[in-house]
Amino acid sequence: MASWGSRLLAALVGGGAAVLVLYPIAFLIQASLSVGDPQARPPEAYGLANFAELPRYSRIFTNTVVVAVAATVVAIVVGFVMAWILSRTNMPGRHVFEQLMALPYYVTPLMGALAWSLLGSPSGGFLNQAWRALGGTDHLIDINSAWGIAWVMALFEGSVAFVMIGAVMKSMDPALEEASQVLGAGRIRTMLKVTLPLVIPGVLGATVFCFAEMLGSFSAALVLGLPSRFYVVTTAMYQLVSQYPPRFPTAAAMGVSLFAVMFVMVWLYRRIVQRGHYATITGKAFRPRVMRVGRLRWGLFALCLAYLGVAVVLPVLTLFSASIQRLATALVPARANLTLANYATAFSLDAVRSALGNSLLLGAATATLGVVVMAFLAWLIYRSRLPGAGGIEYVLMFPQAVPRLVFAFGMLWAWLIFPLPIYGTLWLLLIAYLTVFLPLGLRTIAGVILQVDRSLEESAQMCGAGWGYRMRTVTVPLLRPGLVAAWLLLFIASVRELGASILLMGPKAKVITPAIVESWFSTSTELTAAMALLQTLAVAVALVLLFTVARRVTQPAGE
Amino acid sequence: MTPGPPTKASIEVRDLVVRYGAVAAVRGVSFDVAAGEHVTLLGPSGCGKTTTLRAIAGLEHPASGEIRVGGQAVYSGAARLNVAPERRGLSMVFQSYAIWPHMSVFDNVAYGLRVRKLPGAEVAERVRWALDLVQMGALAARSAAQLSGGQQQRVALARAFVFSPSVLLFDEPLSNLDAKLRAEMRIEIKELQRGLGITSVYVTHDLEEALAISDRIVVMRDGVIEQVGSPAEIYDRPRSTFVADFVGSANLIRGRWRPDLEQDGLVALETSGGLIVHGSAYGRHPGAEALFSVRTVHVRLTRERPLGTRNVWPARIRRRVFQGDFTQYQVDWDGRTLVVRSATGDPLAEDDEIYLAVEPRHCVLLEDEPLRGGPLPPG
Repeated sequence: MASWGSRLLAALVGGGAAVLVLYPIAFLIQASLSVGDPQARPPEAYGLANFAELPRYSRIFTNTVVVAVAATVVAIVVGFVMAWILSRTNMPGRHVFEQLMALPYYVTPLMGALAWSLLGSPSGGFLNQAWRALGGTDHLIDINSAWGIAWVMALFEGSVAFVMIGAVMKSMDPALEEASQVLGAGRIRTMLKVTLPLVIPGVLGATVFCFAEMLGSFSAALVLGLPSRFYVVTTAMYQLVSQYPPRFPTAAAMGVSLFAVMFVMVWLYRRIVQRGHYATITGKAFRPRVMRVGRLRWGLFALCLAYLGVAVVLPVLTLFSASIQRLATALVPARANLTLANYATAFSLDAVRSALGNSLLLGAATATLGVVVMAFLAWLIYRSRLPGAGGIEYVLMFPQAVPRLVFAFGMLWAWLIFPLPIYGTLWLLLIAYLTVFLPLGLRTIAGVILQVDRSLEESAQMCGAGWGYRMRTVTVPLLRPGLVAAWLLLFIASVRELGASILLMGPKAKVITPAIVESWFSTSTELTAAMALLQTLAVAVALVLLFTVARRVTQPAGE
Repeated sequence: MTPGPPTKASIEVRDLVVRYGAVAAVRGVSFDVAAGEHVTLLGPSGCGKTTTLRAIAGLEHPASGEIRVGGQAVYSGAARLNVAPERRGLSMVFQSYAIWPHMSVFDNVAYGLRVRKLPGAEVAERVRWALDLVQMGALAARSAAQLSGGQQQRVALARAFVFSPSVLLFDEPLSNLDAKLRAEMRIEIKELQRGLGITSVYVTHDLEEALAISDRIVVMRDGVIEQVGSPAEIYDRPRSTFVADFVGSANLIRGRWRPDLEQDGLVALETSGGLIVHGSAYGRHPGAEALFSVRTVHVRLTRERPLGTRNVWPARIRRRVFQGDFTQYQVDWDGRTLVVRSATGDPLAEDDEIYLAVEPRHCVLLEDEPLRGGPLPPG
């Protein structure tokens, strides 16, 4: 049982984190209710006029829903089919593919959007060029449309859906299906009557989760939608804030509406997941039953290859090809057109160098600080039995329901008036990252904490070890794999963050991802492609370095 | 405290109440454990036995009551005192063993000694002593993650007693082992406990385990104590239908009290079928309606009418189930079925007309109201 001192500390940290989350949201709501001079801070008058004005933007809302629905449907179909193939059939090489399915996640929506823009823009896109060369007229695909945006988002989100649905399919007790077959039901009947009903809660949960993410997604819609003036809520907000004069209250009202919808979605998701648990998740690891699919397995094999092809190989190849051409005119560059100048330029540009440096620095700081703070918070919520821990968890998971751009909008106001001169510095970005990535870090660490049996800590206590000694010798060493994983996730997420960074970044403290977007819209395509690949490369190198160092440090286990 | 020769300490638990939110898991439990004594808390899951043990350890925060270890209060609701678990000088063996997988066997066992900042040479010596005692000396360098269940259990034991705690607590330590290993470890724990002479409190839902290793047994149900006594007392003279049923299988015989038929200090009950059954009161007092408990192994079945007239009736075998060490019969008697277990020797056939006899000392008068506890399914 915690002493009063540790309880106070716990309450302070938990409360502090809760304030970090709620403070910007309060400002977002305040701004949305401001009806006086839109530039006035604090608002001159309050009212609902901004919300009353929203129907004028009904087109934007329709766009958002269309894109989100289309992307979700494709992502879920991809995720479901891939999960079924890789966990329930005897397709050759499925174990390798299962590892590879993480790759689309590492090709961010931003990279996907840049690459697919090169491939599928109506006039100069490589695919459309090929189409016309083969005798087609006009264009084959228009990536700058709602469908194009949805396509790029779905390719990325497909791997998220795969992970969620795959977990459900794997955790299903094969005896449930075997029982059905033993009782005389055929394969089809078993599938319809047993398998599907058991998997449905998981699929539904994944659908709602993906839909919420798609509603709040930003980068693909920005890169692909801006040229054709196709706006969704997040890009419209960005436009309203960055135009002159900015229209903060309208943007805030849009953000609040989006927040409200996503909040409901996330709530729904938690309900579904909690309710669905009884059927499939028994905490036991099962070896799911594998279906022999005969010759069809080569068809399935081709399907898996195709997904990884359009989601990973093609985008990366396209960017690479563009980055080594003087003028990116073809997917297969002509020899005379080859150059390394884009990389040289990227390296020589002070802005790029410092932005990349800043990003890596920020990533390391966010990950390190985040792991310490989030591990403590996770311990507080799941282990300390502090009264009100459930409430703290609820608040800390809030950012999951707020698009990072919307959240950053709240922070913009919140920290502008805060009496610390951190606005426009990396410090503000650090705070923003720590806040928006709270759910990500907490969930990762909580997963490990819940796996570590409480009695492992209690037995240390019974051996006479005090809190600090226990933490040092038992708790932290047992959590180490989870903490390392959380560190990596936070690092990668921070270095590639766009939605919050693009609003909060100061002119003297740039970070790399918004710099890539800026370069895309204001300088050359080829340089942008080089920058995007350099960013990926930098993350990879940092990770390899880190792994090597970490392995060397942790090698001699024990004291 | 520093390790040395084991220091025995008594334990006193007074009016202990532990709540989980609105639910009281332990509702006013009091018992003593003498220095060096081995007491077992026995009961079905959810009876509050583990919660009581964890409250003694300090891992649960009671709502009220008092716990003393070696005469010193470690928890007192009245004095608002709650000593942290690590300062109580107790030790505990967990159901899940709680062996730290990231340490070697040696480091696991050495933990409690290192916490106490013993010099390295002494740590090594004492760990070796403890591991030898649990026959794990050869595996000291092994990583704990590579141990089998039984080996983990031994390491957990060694870790628990190596620093000479004043009290050892056991939370269902054998429930994750298979039956054979369980029987083996049961004896080892008993020998270890006797050898070290350490005070211990043991929690289990397994009757055989409790009977085998305890000096005294505390039977719990729904957060209160049902009966306290030696294993023989608990087994031979259950106090209530609950104990009679939980502590091995028993038949319950219900009847109207007939004080007029009392003979030789025996209580007589008349069953609904009009049979007169004599039994022993063991100082308890029957109500107008009363219950006898008769263990299934205490009923004798014979082909010939046995000598004596008391508690002998004709009966008929309805069903026979061969179970190896014994044969279980269902016998029609007094318009109902009794369950009887007898050593497999000369088996009786189904539908045989036989005689059924019970010695009156094996018909144990129960204390509870017969209306409250209905007939319990035996076995």
